[in-house]
Amino acid sequence: MKVLKTTIYLFSLFALASCTKVIDLKLGNNTGQLVIEGNITNTAGPQIIKLSTNVPFTNTNTYPPVTGATVSVSDQNGNAYTFTEGPSGTYSNSQLTGIPGNTYTMTVVTGGKTYTASSKMPAVVNLDSLTSKNDVIQTSDHKKLVTVYYQDPAGIANQYRFVLYVNNVQANDIYAYNDQFNDGRYVSIDLFENTASSSVDKGIFSGDTATVEMQCIDKPVYTYWETLMQAQANGPGGSVTPSNPPTNITPVTLGYFSAHTTQSKTIVVK
Amino acid sequence: MNSLYQYNPYFSGKIITMARLLLLFCFSFLTLSAFGQKKYTISGTIKDSATGETLIGATVRIKELPSVGTATNSYGFYSLTAPAGNYTLLFSYVGYQTVEKPIALHADETIGMALTSSGSLTEVVISANRPNNDQITSPQMGVEKLNMSQINQVPVVLGERDILKTITLMPGVKSAGEGNTGFYVRGGAADQNLILLDEATVYNASHLFGFFSTFNSDAIKDVSIYKGGMPAEYGGRLSSVLDVKMLDGNDKDFTVQGGLGLISSRIKVEGPIQKDKGSFMISARRTYIDVFLKASKDSTIKGSSLYFYDINAKANYHFDDNNAIYLSGYFGKDVIGLKNTFGTNWGNATGTIRYNHIFNSKLFSNTSLIFSNYNYVIQSFLSDNNFKATSKINDINLKEDLQYSLSSNHTLKFGVNILHHTIAPGDITSNSASSFNDISVQQRYGFETAAYVSDDWKASDKLTILYGLRLSGFFLFGSGSFNTYDAAGDVLSTSTYGSGQVAKSYLNLEPRLSSSYQLNDVSSVKFSYNRNTQNIHLLTNSTTSSPTDLYVMSSNNIKPEIADQVSTGWFRNFSDNIFEFSAEIYYKWLQNQINYKDGAQLLVNEDVESQLVYGSGRAYGLELFLKKKYGRFNGWIGYTLSRTEDKFAAINDGNYFPATQDRTHDLSVVGIYQLTKRWSLSSTFIYQTGNAVTYPTGKYEVGGLTTFSYSERNGYREPSNNRLDIGATLEGKQHKKYHSSWTFSIYNVYGHRDPYSITFQNSKTVPNTTEALETSIFATPIPSVTWNFKF
Repeated sequence: MKVLKTTIYLFSLFALASCTKVIDLKLGNNTGQLVIEGNITNTAGPQIIKLSTNVPFTNTNTYPPVTGATVSVSDQNGNAYTFTEGPSGTYSNSQLTGIPGNTYTMTVVTGGKTYTASSKMPAVVNLDSLTSKNDVIQTSDHKKLVTVYYQDPAGIANQYRFVLYVNNVQANDIYAYNDQFNDGRYVSIDLFENTASSSVDKGIFSGDTATVEMQCIDKPVYTYWETLMQAQANGPGGSVTPSNPPTNITPVTLGYFSAHTTQSKTIVVK
Repeated sequence: MNSLYQYNPYFSGKIITMARLLLLFCFSFLTLSAFGQKKYTISGTIKDSATGETLIGATVRIKELPSVGTATNSYGFYSLTAPAGNYTLLFSYVGYQTVEKPIALHADETIGMALTSSGSLTEVVISANRPNNDQITSPQMGVEKLNMSQINQVPVVLGERDILKTITLMPGVKSAGEGNTGFYVRGGAADQNLILLDEATVYNASHLFGFFSTFNSDAIKDVSIYKGGMPAEYGGRLSSVLDVKMLDGNDKDFTVQGGLGLISSRIKVEGPIQKDKGSFMISARRTYIDVFLKASKDSTIKGSSLYFYDINAKANYHFDDNNAIYLSGYFGKDVIGLKNTFGTNWGNATGTIRYNHIFNSKLFSNTSLIFSNYNYVIQSFLSDNNFKATSKINDINLKEDLQYSLSSNHTLKFGVNILHHTIAPGDITSNSASSFNDISVQQRYGFETAAYVSDDWKASDKLTILYGLRLSGFFLFGSGSFNTYDAAGDVLSTSTYGSGQVAKSYLNLEPRLSSSYQLNDVSSVKFSYNRNTQNIHLLTNSTTSSPTDLYVMSSNNIKPEIADQVSTGWFRNFSDNIFEFSAEIYYKWLQNQINYKDGAQLLVNEDVESQLVYGSGRAYGLELFLKKKYGRFNGWIGYTLSRTEDKFAAINDGNYFPATQDRTHDLSVVGIYQLTKRWSLSSTFIYQTGNAVTYPTGKYEVGGLTTFSYSERNGYREPSNNRLDIGATLEGKQHKKYHSSWTFSIYNVYGHRDPYSITFQNSKTVPNTTEALETSIFATPIPSVTWNFKF
């Protein structure tokens, strides 16, 4: 919750003498594990499932692709779509356009193992509008917030994920929300770039172009992103024991399979 | 309670079984009553001669009968039985001059005694009193008693002396982290400590996320912590009891004392209500850290609030020698707010009404009515995200405790206690323009009931056994609907209960035993076993003390937590009892421990019990303690070698893994030196193995972001902590009317960086790589100064 983030922020102000330092740690090396990132959306165009492996912490952020896999997706009506291998571990299919309400099942065969996962594409909730305003917490450095507005449908559980791009660069934060506290309300959610020490983002400023993608996601996928979001908030005062987020893929491997709706809006920050 | 009996035959049946068992137990003692030579009883109250404060744990002995002796209870009362004869009574208490009083014992006698403080600890030796050897003779083990004058000399951060921080310098008690008052006892979690302030439960014992404790040491008389061998009169938590007692107030003179520090100030007023009959004490403090915020350029921060205050108050009145009433209360609040944006406040409130009645020289009774409340409020003032979230826990507790000195060999304690909990886990209210709905999570009601009996039995000159039994019953009540969840967290069934109907109950028998065998004048071996159960559980997914701590009771999903502990130890005094040494080992089995599923949502969640997983744990260790109690130089060295492990089916493939509170080595050294009559110096050194933590063992990319992968839970160690603090106290010149002193301290003298947290992130300097970032809070020496006054 944002309130907690705020109190944590105040708390770090209080710790006047606090300081940070980059340190060397001897970390274990449990790498070469399969990472599956499967997305089916309700927009036309190639649907992409990406296979890669994890690498040691000390490596650069480049992830070896997994090639030669057999990848397919089917829906509950028995329609099957074969995904063809492209460059750098991407497998794609251009015939499939996701339909809200359908349940999609992904099958990936690689390394002699078969991985499956299912995800139900939720109904579309309309992204109403975007606005920008001054950051309510750090007012002195003239940072801005981007606010997303939508009408949450009453009586059903909805889950959302937002992806924020500032000047076409994806913000290094995860924004996953559900309607536990605002079912049926006209909802506004403030998105901001976390510029604390644990982020490379610089923040949103007047004149920037901000794009927000709104995804309607199912419950298991929400739990996946929500867990990652909590782990990101890790820091002074708010540390949960980190773990790999619960995946919907069996047998368990890194990654997720998400059938979600998508829509985007762009504004120039005032 | 009548209505309960009518409502529920099940409940009343259990109560009756409970009562029968206890009666049986009591009668078995009465048959032990000794026959033979005519015996008489001496009883009375021991006080401080200057202030009238009753002295807890003062000893009374008969010089001619070395095996006959007792100690005063929490109200300064003692009762001692001996055969008729002429004796010399010895009254003694640490830091006070021993008094000898000849007595011809031919009838029951009431002897009140006022002892005179020897000024400071150091002068005890000069007056050549023989320090007592309680630690050798007492059957109680696993207990640490802290002396307030020592607490006041131990240097602490920002000069705010603190009993909770001093307690973590004892072996077997570990600090939850730098700047944190949370503590772990013998591998127990922070919520497995029962923290009592004048018998009232304190649910959140910390201010400002744990930088300060709720205990203002100005108002405190006595602190004891039981780590093992818990006496039967305590129950309800697994790993320890921290029993804090407030001062009663000076019943002879009015005094005002206080202190001005860098970040807080405090004041205490005390005096007689009626001389020698009754007195009062009020103590208050407030921090002013928010003054620093006012210096900020940022207008929002400038308008922020960040402070806490607390008030301790107590009054007592003695109607006559046999009847006394005590009223005590605590109120504290933390406030954090951002101007026109967010606000949060939280705090404890407790109240205790106690009535002491002495039936006769052998039978002492205390009846307590206790209130305790903890609540928090989080508010957002933003127009479109306006809301107010509240949560609270309310306790009403009725306790009856009796102490019966059966004979010179048996002292019985027995009592009953019924505690009613009301927990309102969360309510959200908002205005119509808000994005938020009004949500109210069902309130829960429960009774914790207990009956206990224990006997302090001097079986022979060498063998003393303190044994007892505690029967604890827990009853979860309606009204409300109660979901039962399967392992996946889905609702299996829902039951609805009306008001006063029992939804779930648990009954547990808790045997307690602590014994001492004296090998000779200076050494003894001790053994203890105790079972403890716990029916109220803290849910928090933060490692620091968080204001949003949520308590849940045992239920159809959550079983009572159970701990069994055995410990044994060797106790040896040296140099005429000036040095005390002890070595204790313990092993603890824990059942029905609680952990969370990944991504657990605990805040304002009706289905919070669906987010939990259950497992077991074990803890074992060795504690070494060397203490010099007397002399110009005094202090202690404590060392603990221990292991604490958890086991949950869903975590680490069901294998044991180190618990967060697992610390292999823990060393504390405390030294206090009286340099001159006015200057005293003190120093503390600590070394601890780092926390068990989970570090990434790889990284990958999802959603366009670099993400870390993890293998083993708590498979790594943070770097070890070590720190040296020094302090000095300068007593002002003695004036007739007033007295003042200065306290100087430097926290973290050599500026060691103790890791507060380690985070993993994309590197800011080398693109496309990741780095580990260590945050330290007090990485530089922190000096402070406080001026104290008294008049």
